[in-house]
Amino acid sequence: MTDFQDTGERRRTSDAPLLITELIDEETVQSIAQEAWSALIGDDEFLVPLPGGLPEDAVSSWVEVVGPWTGAVVLTCGRATAEELSRCLLAEHAPPVLDAEDVADGMGELANVVGGNVKAVLPGPSVLGLPEVGAAPEAGVDALRVDLLWRGQSLTITVQGSAGALTDQQNNPQKNEVPL
Amino acid sequence: MKILVADDSRVMRQIVIRTLRQAGYDDHDIVEAEDGADALAKVSSEQPDLVLSDWNMPNMTGIECLEALRASGSAVPFGFVTSEGSAEMREKAANAGALFLIAKPFTEDTFKEHLDGVIA
Repeated sequence: MTDFQDTGERRRTSDAPLLITELIDEETVQSIAQEAWSALIGDDEFLVPLPGGLPEDAVSSWVEVVGPWTGAVVLTCGRATAEELSRCLLAEHAPPVLDAEDVADGMGELANVVGGNVKAVLPGPSVLGLPEVGAAPEAGVDALRVDLLWRGQSLTITVQGSAGALTDQQNNPQKNEVPL
Repeated sequence: MKILVADDSRVMRQIVIRTLRQAGYDDHDIVEAEDGADALAKVSSEQPDLVLSDWNMPNMTGIECLEALRASGSAVPFGFVTSEGSAEMREKAANAGALFLIAKPFTEDTFKEHLDGVIA
């Protein structure tokens, strides 16, 4: 019988959380978003990779991904931008005055399409949640943020792990150490 | 021909209907359903010739709707229009009896590619 000494090293390696920056890059997220914009908003609608600063009335929509990597794909933009996007999605069916439900529906569906395609790039099997709209869930350190401009207006897409606080501690063990 | 479009997003139902029209399928009756349970009921009441359904929906998902239809003996042609187009999802859809899976975002060409053999 062979002696086996459990050093714990193998277990720790396999238990290490997957970091989003090791799974997907900004260019891939931007490319997924651009494909969604071209198909759903319009052929000539472009997302430019430039930071612009979000307004104070920013709204977010997101979908959760639960699997080997768990987190959310969050789309954030100003309220006026969200209304303009929803109007583009509804096209000729857009009413003169959009109600909050139309804007939430439009924003949710954009997050759903981008999130579904991000999920396809991540390791599986994983499950996609239903779209949610509101104040964005807080991002931890396990986050990939892509700043974009659409028609000159700021829009961000963040792919963020739900175990941000835990990952933060694991990546920065000194944070938990008692100062000498 | 009657087509049932099931999606919990009203915006996406409008986009699917608009894309059907842009792809040339503009002379068909369209019925809308807002989730899988609504779609299941409307297959019975409306007798559509084709179902185009989202996958992730509240109350009853698209795949649950398809499974319930097949379990009840319905052979209505059924295709998914969903944001999830992975090989795993396509295999699940095919195994449950779906004819095709169109991944969002889609174009009119994607619709033509999948629907030309289905819609007369």
